[in-house]
Amino acid sequence: MDALAVDGITKTYRGDLSKGAREVLRGVSFFAGEGEILGFLGSNGAGKTTTIKIVLGLVRPDSGGVSIFGRKAGSRGALARIGYLPENPWFFPHLSLGEFLDYCGRMSGLTGKILSSRCEEVMPLVGLERSSRQKLKSFSKGMLQRAGLAQAILHDPDLLILDEPFSGLDPLGRKMVRDILLDLKRKGKTIFFSSHILPDMESLCDRACIIRGGVVVRSVSLDDIFRIGEGKVEITARGCGAAEIKALDDYIDSAGMKGDEAFITVKKQEYVRTVVRHLYNKGAEILRIVNQHRTLEDIFIGEIAGAPAQAKNGADRPEKEPLCGSGAKEAGI
Amino acid sequence: MTGRMAVIALNTFRESIREKLLYIVLIYAGILVLCTFVLSPLSVGAAKGKIITDVGLAGISLLGVLTVIVAGSSLVHKEIEKKAVFMVVTRPVSRQEYLVGKFAGVVMALGLLMLAMAAVMTAMILWGNGKVNIPVLSAVYLSMLEMAVISAVVIFFSTFTTPVLTSFFAVCIFVAGSLSGDLRAFASRFGGPAVRHLTEFLYYVLPNIRVFNLRNEAVHDLRFNGGDIALATLYAAAYCGVVLYFAYLVFRRREFS
Repeated sequence: MDALAVDGITKTYRGDLSKGAREVLRGVSFFAGEGEILGFLGSNGAGKTTTIKIVLGLVRPDSGGVSIFGRKAGSRGALARIGYLPENPWFFPHLSLGEFLDYCGRMSGLTGKILSSRCEEVMPLVGLERSSRQKLKSFSKGMLQRAGLAQAILHDPDLLILDEPFSGLDPLGRKMVRDILLDLKRKGKTIFFSSHILPDMESLCDRACIIRGGVVVRSVSLDDIFRIGEGKVEITARGCGAAEIKALDDYIDSAGMKGDEAFITVKKQEYVRTVVRHLYNKGAEILRIVNQHRTLEDIFIGEIAGAPAQAKNGADRPEKEPLCGSGAKEAGI
Repeated sequence: MTGRMAVIALNTFRESIREKLLYIVLIYAGILVLCTFVLSPLSVGAAKGKIITDVGLAGISLLGVLTVIVAGSSLVHKEIEKKAVFMVVTRPVSRQEYLVGKFAGVVMALGLLMLAMAAVMTAMILWGNGKVNIPVLSAVYLSMLEMAVISAVVIFFSTFTTPVLTSFFAVCIFVAGSLSGDLRAFASRFGGPAVRHLTEFLYYVLPNIRVFNLRNEAVHDLRFNGGDIALATLYAAAYCGVVLYFAYLVFRRREFS
């Protein structure tokens, strides 16, 4: 059974005297399997938040349906299994963090020792264990975001729905959220989240759905993304001249110089050994060898702009910087 | 009341108290002391106690209702506007539980406020050689019922309109409810059939604020029918129940777009 199944939902907001009706969703369909992390991508106004609100039962679709673990969206049974973090959360400023979590826990049916032990567990998890007695009105944006995540995971839900979970977080906070989400995935939880921070999404998701103009235009597995464009390898070398590179014309796609460093994009994986050996024999120092692949950003921009996405390579990168993190895989040679 | 309703009520109560609601008691005490000193020279002996009782009971009623209109009108709306309501309605909590919890929290907070004002009034009456008798306490109790009815009205309007309009409608209903009995009597004597039907309709639809007024009996220590207190209690409970049910019907259909 899918943790979340969205089937052809449409939504048009009725207009008033000042503005006409606005069609926000035009048949959105996707699913999230149990234990999967599904990213939801789209530019502003694409329909992400409306879709999430329909999934939560906050907004009714005009047609289509949503089921959560086989139950109708918005039903008590469905809501009991959901943890939700809204975008730009605003919580009760008169409460301290401890009181707020106690409130949310009781709303989710937790009581007594289970509630207090869960509060004790989640506060350190989001790095707020020292802020238990601090009023929420004195929290920074990042702290509120962490508090929001804490209340979303407090009752150990099976499905987490997060609207822009990385918003307002510093790099450490983002890493913390990533680690929490990956840990939850290891525990078999399903996570459905929207974000504009594509590298974070790329490092977390099993799949990503791209929504444009109220329609899901693409659902892509992150494994597939890494496979697209596989074969091209960028070699960074120092101490080789144009003549040495020219001799490699049959093996390389492109090459460029920046200072004394050469950036060479090799056509195929099997040519790497030849190119490296050639450069080495000519006295060049090999600095980096990096596999090229498309990123989620390439695909997203390709879908949103309507232009075909292209694999990045050394030639179209404006700054010659080392490829790192989720955007690169070390070449296996 | 379910556990979740109680949690919502407690949170609403806590929010109201932490919003410095009880400072109103200081305003009340100031008004009472001022009125006592201004009006006391005009009275002699026990009349001073009556003035304090009269002004004190009127103050409790008026400040209670005004506070519930001002503070209560933004309670639900603010949570919707700021999306804090998402913390509740995305959990296994019915919208009915949410509304009743909110109502109970407001009534608890305002009840505490009115009790505090009543304590100030009692001290002042005793200082003015007056008597704090059953009618005085009954009058305070009826003012609390009046406040509960207006709270329900405020909750109803706040489910679908802005705080300003909620306050406006609630004031209108309070004033019209205070006058509905007189209007009905006036129309039955002088009005045509259409006016009579209209005032009859309003008399039954609007809250009959008069039934919560025992101030005259309290000030002059007049006898009153204890059964009226029970009937007023039943009336307030029924009226609140019906208004909250309509609030639920509106809120159930509400989308949080």
